[in-house]
Formats: sequence, structure tokens, C-alpha cells
Amino acid sequence: MKPYPPKRALSFLRWFCREDYVEEIEGDLTELFQKQYDEAPKKARRKFFWNVIRYFRPGFIKTLKTSSATPNTAAMFRHNILISYRNFLRYKSSFFINLIGLSSGLACTLLIYLWVNDELQMDQFHEKSDRLYQVLEHRRQADRIWTAESSPGPLAAALVAEMPTVETAITMGWEFSATLSIPDHNIRATGKYVDKDFFNMFSFDLLQGNKNTALEGKTGVVITEALAQRLFGTTENVMGKMVDFYHEKQYMVTGLAKNTPSSSSQQFEFLLPFESIREGRQWLQNWENTGPTTYILLKPGTDVQAFNDQIADYIKRKTEGEVTYRTQFIAPYTSRYLYGKYENAVLVGGRITYVKLFSIIAVFILIIACINFMNLSTARASRRLKEIGIKKAVGAGRRTLMYQHLGEALLLSFLSLVVAVGLVALLLPQFNIITNKQLALRFDGQFILAIAAITAATGLLAGSYPALYLSGFNPSAVLKGKFSNSLGELWARKGLVIFQFALSVIFIVSVVVVYKQIEYIQSKSLGYDRENVIYFDREGRTENNDNLESFLAEIRSIPGVITASSTQHDMTGHNSGTSGVEWPGKDPNDKTEFENVTVNYEMMETLGITMAQGRTFSRNFTDTARIIFNEAAVAFMGLEDPVGKTVKLWGHNMEIIGVAKNFNFESLRENVRPAFFRVDPASTYLVMVKLAPGEQGETIKKINSFYEKYNPGFTFDYKFLDAEYQDQYVAEQRVATLSRYFAGLAILISCLGLFGLAAFTAERRQKEIGIRKALGAGELGIVFLLSQDFTRIVLMAIVIALPTSYILSTYWLSNFAFHITLQWWYFISAGLIALSIAFLTVATQAMKAAGLNPTQSLRMD
Amino acid sequence: MKDQSLGEFEELVLLMVAALHDEAYGVAILENLEEKLEKKYNISAIHVALKRLEDKSFVQSRFGGITQDRGGRRKKFYVITALGKRMLDQQYEIRTSIYNQIPKISFS
Repeated sequence: MKPYPPKRALSFLRWFCREDYVEEIEGDLTELFQKQYDEAPKKARRKFFWNVIRYFRPGFIKTLKTSSATPNTAAMFRHNILISYRNFLRYKSSFFINLIGLSSGLACTLLIYLWVNDELQMDQFHEKSDRLYQVLEHRRQADRIWTAESSPGPLAAALVAEMPTVETAITMGWEFSATLSIPDHNIRATGKYVDKDFFNMFSFDLLQGNKNTALEGKTGVVITEALAQRLFGTTENVMGKMVDFYHEKQYMVTGLAKNTPSSSSQQFEFLLPFESIREGRQWLQNWENTGPTTYILLKPGTDVQAFNDQIADYIKRKTEGEVTYRTQFIAPYTSRYLYGKYENAVLVGGRITYVKLFSIIAVFILIIACINFMNLSTARASRRLKEIGIKKAVGAGRRTLMYQHLGEALLLSFLSLVVAVGLVALLLPQFNIITNKQLALRFDGQFILAIAAITAATGLLAGSYPALYLSGFNPSAVLKGKFSNSLGELWARKGLVIFQFALSVIFIVSVVVVYKQIEYIQSKSLGYDRENVIYFDREGRTENNDNLESFLAEIRSIPGVITASSTQHDMTGHNSGTSGVEWPGKDPNDKTEFENVTVNYEMMETLGITMAQGRTFSRNFTDTARIIFNEAAVAFMGLEDPVGKTVKLWGHNMEIIGVAKNFNFESLRENVRPAFFRVDPASTYLVMVKLAPGEQGETIKKINSFYEKYNPGFTFDYKFLDAEYQDQYVAEQRVATLSRYFAGLAILISCLGLFGLAAFTAERRQKEIGIRKALGAGELGIVFLLSQDFTRIVLMAIVIALPTSYILSTYWLSNFAFHITLQWWYFISAGLIALSIAFLTVATQAMKAAGLNPTQSLRMD
Repeated sequence: MKDQSLGEFEELVLLMVAALHDEAYGVAILENLEEKLEKKYNISAIHVALKRLEDKSFVQSRFGGITQDRGGRRKKFYVITALGKRMLDQQYEIRTSIYNQIPKISFS
């Protein structure tokens, strides 16, 4: 057996080498190889490779497409562009319909691309992002598993000390706003408490100061450039300056950070060392209480699953088996922004839902625009029959014709791209307002590549059907003028229109449903009255518990103020929970958290919370050992005749004096959870003031001037409770606004297509109309005749769309614990809107056709 | 007729084709040249030269029979054409006549 030369080299040779040479060359090479092989096999193989490569040069390589090569590719290309250009000029209306449709579709896709890309980029800038994790907790409740972000105060330090795979860990407090002052200058800014390794974990730029030590100790503060500008009026020489917080505590500037980028989900103006608040706060030093968040940096190559297994029962171990209902785990920090929603310990999504939703919408709008192009080009095929027939007769292959029509679609879509980019530049400021982003058109490599790919895909999609269809004609039949639409083609076209309109109807229904749901949320009675309520932090003198009562009394005496009180809970979202409620018959393993609403007297009146039974707190009794539950809590505990009974809260006896009607303190996505009220003025942080309607502006001014006198050095920084409430539904409101625009666009593009088709049909049936009119048909009859077909198509689209949209809206609404019931008229009205718009579009064309003088259309030939 | 010039290496290959007469194919030409000139050549250089010679009609080629040795590939044999022979004669004459013009001086 003769040795065989290396296979790969051989097949490479066969691939590139000219067919007429390969026999000789391969033979010679093989012969040489076999001769050398006997002496030195390895060298022979190497030599063979090298020899093959030596042949890889012009004289021996196959010429491209040797057999069927068209030597005049460039000329054909020029010819095709010329033909396309002439066609655009000749049939301006279809050109503009296509251009407008494709460019608005592309513009919408580009906007969504920018938005989606921005969402995906969120938090990706951290250099150690692949090792950065947040510690979360699943907490077992009686009815569900609740996933919480807060962790115990000692966790970060313990993880670093005990887990060899943890490189660093930090504790982070929640964002708060505070009054910052230097002599003669007070401002408010937001920031948070963090541990010293903050800058080693997150890639926020520290311009001045040492990133290892800036937050070490208890007295340093890191501020951003913008804050330095606001506070000192300069960013130079700010290091070492002293800043007063709350006119109480002094911090020295030990670092100047760049402003937090908009691509970061955490925003801050200042950072304080967490150490400075740890001391003296018992609840930050045990494992039972939770509050701050914890972030860890794992060492490279750590197995996350194994780590999760290790910390799953960490809390249980730390509390010597006391706390068993809390399971810790870690989630990648960079994915938290898009994938933040857990349901019963299972990750169910988060913002990614909207990212996906909008991507799908973009694709559909683009498809609608492509369908216009397909329909118009195939419907108007008859105009180009002769061109195609002659080309085929002279010998053009099907492939050549396909290239020509694909090329035409590509040309058009790139023209549309130019228009679309202009549109995007025009619309971007408005779009940024709606989405609350700072998107900009930046023509970097990635963007250009993306839009080129999107446009090319659009062109190919739009051109594919026409190219296949037009290139398939039989030249002899076409040249004789025997051209008739076969039934199949007609159906394909109708099917596309049906698809277009079905999508439009679905869009309309979604707009109606989203709008109605938002309206419902905003007007739903929450069980308390959030109108005309303002609230602000207790600061400075008001923070002193001895002053609180007199301060509130002063506020109440201001004309225009109905009532005022203070609370710990801002009534929007989960605030503070505890599992420390005990009642007769409670399962000792039940760790369900009750929402703890610690209030001052008159708070329930300020919010207008109505009582189902019993009374509210009153100064006439010493009510500190009394408690009020909401109906959900009473139902959960299964107490009968609760008023007068005694329960235990954190081990102390509390007498139930009343039951409040259920009120929504969380978002309406959730059901009302068990909650209780207790009186403890010293633990309240917020002052809430109920204003008389009609003169809120005046009243606020009065409160402001009183506040500045009462609390010098602090600014009166208040918020409206209802505005805060709205903020919970920002995402939904964005969807509502955007879906309105998208639905409008979808309908517009669909109608453009229909308009084009109707115009074309009217043109082709000119003679028929002329004859009908000559024989005495009325204009109205002709309008109906022409619109009949289209009306039927749109009706069919509606029949398909309504059930689909019903399913989709039911699915979306199931995200809300409180939602509207779908009404039949949402669907009927969406259908009617689509139908009437379509009918109007077609009818205007039909009227034009019907109004023509029959002698004119019949006089020709 | 294309270019009628003959490069140095082409001339060597053409000579060898003529010398091997009817037994001239890639590997044989390569080995004989290497032996005569005591110099290593790459087979691809031989092939390039052969293609050029064929383009200029100095050689003709034909395929031989299938042999087992070459992985089932046939040999391609080259023979010199009349034109090629004339070209060689011309080259030889030119060289000889110039050579003869060298004055008879002692080159010691």
C-alpha cells in the first residue's frame, strides 16, 4: 500500500485548482510525496503542504464562475439601476407609497433598536461585571415565596471572612435625600451609604481621591462633579473641604467622582461610609433584621451554583437554627436590571418583557411595510410584463431577473433608510421624553452595521416575493399579452393584506385595553385618599421628637391645611414588614410578613382610611399598646370579632381597637397584603399634610415660609402623594403612549398599501367602469362595486384579529391583581375603526374612478 | 503567437523536455534538472514554466495512461514542437556566435 498524501491539503488543492491542471499537478505532487515519504515521512507531509500552497496563485486558481460567468456584471448592474430609476420616475405614486411605508417602518424600527440597545447596555460598563453579584433572599410566607433584596447588616463582612471564593463584598444603604450645607449655602442632594470597597467593585470613575481609602473610616464623603459644582460652584480644590449633613454631622470630601453615567441603574450624587451609621443601630448588627442590600465580587472561576448551595442556609446557621424561612442566593448584578422579577422563587422576567415586546412590535411594523411593497409590485406586474418578456426572450435567466428585482427592492429600502434616519433625528427628542432616556444617533461601527443589516433584511424580505413571482412568467404568453392573475397569486396578495390588517386591529385593541387599564389604576379607589396630600422628610428641628407635636400643631393651624400627621410609611409600595405578629392559633413556623405601618395620631384621618370596625387611634387614650389591622390581616389570622382581642407584637401585648378597610399600599399588580397600624410618633420619618382643594399653591407657599422660619438652613422639599403613586406605573404609561403611536403607524402603513392597491384596481377596471356607466350604472353603485372586495378582506382580517387580541389582552391583564374586565365594545370598536378607515381609503379611490367621464375611458383604442 | 521570448529557466526546462523526448513530465523534468544543475527547485516552478511554454506553443502535451503510483492520476507528457526546436536553435546560434567573438586572450 502506497502512502497517501495529507487529505486536507489534497482537498484544498482540488478546491482551488483549475480543473484542467489539477490532474497533472496532483499526480506530480503525489509522486514526489511518495518518493520522499520513504526517507522522511514527516518532512514529506510538510513538504506536500508547502507545495500545495505554492500553487495557490493566480495562474492556477479557478476563475470565478468559469462556465456561466457574465463578463458584463458591472454593465448589468448599471442597467438595473437605470431601469429601477425609470420605474420610480414613471410610477411616482407607487414609489412614494413604498418609500413612505418603508421609511416610516424603518424609522420606527430604528427608534426601537436604539431603545432596546440602550436597555441591553444598562449596567454593562462595569469591568468586573462577570463576577459582580447581588445577594437576594427568598422568604417563605404562608401564601407565597417572596424574593427580597434586603439582607442583614453583618452579611458582607461575614461573607468575606468565611467564604474563600468571595473577593470583596459591600453593604449598601438605600437612596435618600439630605440637606447638605457649607457656610451660607444649603442644597438637597440624593446619595447613599456604602462600604469602603465600593469603587473596587463598581467601575464608577473616581477623578480625585484614592479608591481604596476614600470611604474608609467614618468621616469621608465622595461627591460627584455635578454636586461639587452645585455645592461649591467649582470642581477644583474641593478635596478636604467640609460638608455639613442635616446641619448635624460633618463629613470631609475625600473623593470626587464622575457623574454616574445614564447607563447605570444606580444613580447617586454623594456616597457616605456605611460604617458611620452602623454603630449604635442594633438592627444593623444582627441576622434577624434586614435592611441594606449586599453586593459581592466573586473570585474568577467560582462556580455560582456551588456558591448558592453554600449560602442557601447561611441565615439559618448564623441564627443557630432560629430563622429557617429565609434562603439566600446570588444573582448577577448586570442582569438585575432586565431580569428582576421573581414569583415564588422563580425568575419570571422583569423589564426584559418590554424589551421583547417592543422588538416584536418593530418586526411586525416592518413586515407590514414590506407587505405593501410586495403587494404593489406584484399587483403592478402587468406594467412590466413587456420588459420581463423581452428580457427572457433575449435570454435572461430566471436568476438574473430575480437579482434585478431584489436589487430594486434593496435600492428602495436603502433610499428609505436615508429618509428614516432623517425622521429618527427629528423624532428622537420627543422619543427621549416618552421613554425617559438620553438616546442619540451615534454612527459608530456597530450602529451602521445594525442599520445596514436591518435595511438589507427589509429589502430582501420585501423583494423576495415579487422577485420570485415576476421572474416566473412564461415569456411567450406574456409577450402575447395573455396575462391573467391565477387564483393562487390573488390569494397570496389577499392573504398579505389580511395579515396586515389583522396586525393593525390587534394594535388598536391593545391601545384601548392598555389605556383603559391605566385609567382604571389611576382612578381606582385605593381605600385611602391620596389627592392633595403632600409629604416631606422630618429634618433638623422637626427630627427632634419633643418638637414634633408642636410642629404638627403649627402646620395644622395654617389656613388651607385640613390636617397633618407623621408616618413611617409613604403608602407607595412595600416599606417595612415584620413577621413578629402573634395571635392565638398561629402556626409557629409561619413567617408571613405583615406590613408595618407606624403612624402618629391623626394619620388615618389625614389619609382618609375608613374603618370597618372599631375606632382609630386617639390621644384621649394611651394607644401605644393598641393596634389596628386591615381586613386582609384579620382574614389571614382568621380572627372573629377582632376588636377588643389581644395579640402579641414583638412579644408585647397589643389590644386590637379597630379594623381598617383594605387599602392598596402596594402597586395594583399585587393583592392587598396583611397590614397593621400602630402608634409610635418617635419612629415616624415623614410628615404628611392634607391640603384643602382649590388653593394648594397658596397653602404650600404659606407652609414653606413657616418652615423656613421654623427650620432655618433646611429647604422645604415636598412631594405630592398622588404623583409618587403614578410613578409606580411609569412603565405601563410608556407602553400606553408608545403603543398609541405604533398602532397609528401600523394603520397608516396598512392604509397606504390599501390605497395603492385600490388605485391600481380602479385603473385596471377603467373600461369596465366606463361601460357600466354608459349602460346607466350610478356612481354609488360603482363605489360599492370597487370597495366590495377590499371590505371583504378587511372583515376577514378582523375575524382573525379579534380572538388573537382577546387572548393577548387577557394575558397582559393577568399581570395585575386588580384589572378591568374586557368589554365586548373594545373589540367591536377596534374592528369598526379598522373597517371604516379601510373603507374610506378605498372609497376615495373608487369615487375618483366612478366620477370619470365614460367617453374618456372608452375612447382609447 | 504570443511573446516569443524565452526566459533563462524556461530555456532550461525546454532543453530538458527536448532531451527527455517523450518521457518528459513534471517530476522527471524536476529530478533531471536538479541532478544536472545540483540545485533544488520547487515543482511549482517547473509547472509554471511548462504552462508558459505551452502557451507560447514551444511544447505540446498529452496525458499518459493511469498508473497506481500517482494516486490514480495520469502523467502529463510534454514534447517539444518544431517552433520550440527552432527557438532553441536560434538561442544556441546567437550564443555561439557571440561566444565566437570573444577575442582569444589568455584567461589565466
